[in-house]
Amino acid sequence: MLSFFLRNLDMKKEFIGKIEQIEKISSDAFKMVILSDLQSVKCGQFISILCENKTLRRPFSIADFEKEANQSLTTILFKIKGQATNYLKSLKIGDSVDFLAPLGNGFEIDNKKALLIGAGIGIAPMLFLKKELNKRNIENYLITGFKSRQEVIKGSDRTIIGGTVLDYIEEEIKNQKPQTVYCCAPTVVLKGVDNITRKHNLKTYLALEKVMACSIGVCRGCVIKLIKDKKIANYSVCKDGPVFLGGEIIWE
Amino acid sequence: MGIENLKTTLKNEKTGNSLILKTPLIGASGTWGYNVEYQDYVDYKYLGAISTKGITLEERLGNVGERIFEVFGGLINRIGLENVGIEAFISDKLPILKENNIDFLLNIAGNTIEDYEKLALIAQTNNIKALEVNVSCPNVKKGCLEFGLNPESLYFLISKIRKVYEGFLIIKLSPNTQDIKSLATAVESAGADCISAINTLRGLGVKIDYINNKFYKKTVQGGLSGTCIKPVALYMVNQISSAVKIPVMAIGGISKLSDLFEFMAVGASAFQIGTANFSNPSVIEDLAIELSEFMQKNNYKTFDDLKKDIKNG
Repeated sequence: MLSFFLRNLDMKKEFIGKIEQIEKISSDAFKMVILSDLQSVKCGQFISILCENKTLRRPFSIADFEKEANQSLTTILFKIKGQATNYLKSLKIGDSVDFLAPLGNGFEIDNKKALLIGAGIGIAPMLFLKKELNKRNIENYLITGFKSRQEVIKGSDRTIIGGTVLDYIEEEIKNQKPQTVYCCAPTVVLKGVDNITRKHNLKTYLALEKVMACSIGVCRGCVIKLIKDKKIANYSVCKDGPVFLGGEIIWE
Repeated sequence: MGIENLKTTLKNEKTGNSLILKTPLIGASGTWGYNVEYQDYVDYKYLGAISTKGITLEERLGNVGERIFEVFGGLINRIGLENVGIEAFISDKLPILKENNIDFLLNIAGNTIEDYEKLALIAQTNNIKALEVNVSCPNVKKGCLEFGLNPESLYFLISKIRKVYEGFLIIKLSPNTQDIKSLATAVESAGADCISAINTLRGLGVKIDYINNKFYKKTVQGGLSGTCIKPVALYMVNQISSAVKIPVMAIGGISKLSDLFEFMAVGASAFQIGTANFSNPSVIEDLAIELSEFMQKNNYKTFDDLKKDIKNG
């Protein structure tokens, strides 16, 4: 059973990392690579960073992860939204970053052809997933959407500029014939993808974002409602998620 | 270096009821879950206790819509007492607390006096050592805060609970009142053993976005917590401790060693730490170590000695 008195360093989830790289990757987005003792992560998991003058940590999907001897390099992408992301932007190589990791459930990876969908900064976990699928020789196709050419973050098989990526999902389902769909995007796109893939009866993994307080499932600040076996219950995006199965989410 | 010097006993001299805490640092209700959720971040030996998430008779799903709104120095929440209900707590959560030897306060909330009585009776039957009665949640429509803002109804409610519950009885008070002293006096004369204060303050978060020549408004009304409420908490704890003899647990914006000292200066005997856990999940462990080291360095053998010196300072 639970025996937390045996808690050891391997279980530790709070890290002080060091910035190895920070660079602008589009008109309003940055890439940050953090060197730390974090030992392993799953695609779709996230880290939660302490930002100056902020009560709440900020969650960021992991965009890449590489082991380096006993240490590791964790990559996140962030878009400038407010004070917290401006603080991150102000950091320099060598500065330290206090973060909790790895958080959340992450994506399940089936051995099936996958369509990956990202909108805006939602591309971050998709890049990590794509790399992992490639490593496992699982066929995949990543389509992403951005508001303008200046905002495009590279790495997709197809990039939609302007409009909405939602308008191209039917087409790509027809072209790619995926058996599994993964998506990380704003709620309106997630909801749209959920509707489309349900029609096609495709197994779909949706990565959600919500304002979080504790990041570990206790405060119930970031809950959403799911319907499972005809029973409606609350699930926290930070701990039970951020990845949920299509068809189970009750959209607010 | 041990932290044995942090051990303290809260005692109601009138009833003789007492609560032994291995440290005066308690995880505040709503921020600590039900038992071992923080095990990856904190060694529980540094905690005097955890106060469980507010528990009601029936399971509650809480409020719909945005529940969290960050403000400068704090946050507004409107969780709405989401919890598993007392039955699931007793069957699923209590065994884990016992197995891991975690001291806890069972935090309860109700819609009616009968709810509170039933919950208190269940606590008594299950030999739960300490009960924290929430009469101060600003986020539910019925009950709870209604009892907590009127001295007569508060006295009546606590007398009823006292009749069925013999353990250490703590009442968590609201700051959303004109007259905290009368509430505190009512709590003491109804036979409670301790007061914890404060619960969250009523607050409104407003966010205005201006996109494509149009304003978009978002509002979240709920309870304000965090470092920004500390001066209010200091004022309230000071008022309460000057009005009653029972011990007071301070809650409100505590995140560093000097905060502990400030609350001790106005009469606090123990501390609850809530919102600070969100930025630093090991804050209680850090505080326990800092406090213990300060005491050793400055020749304070017991927490009570330190408390006395700060209070008289």
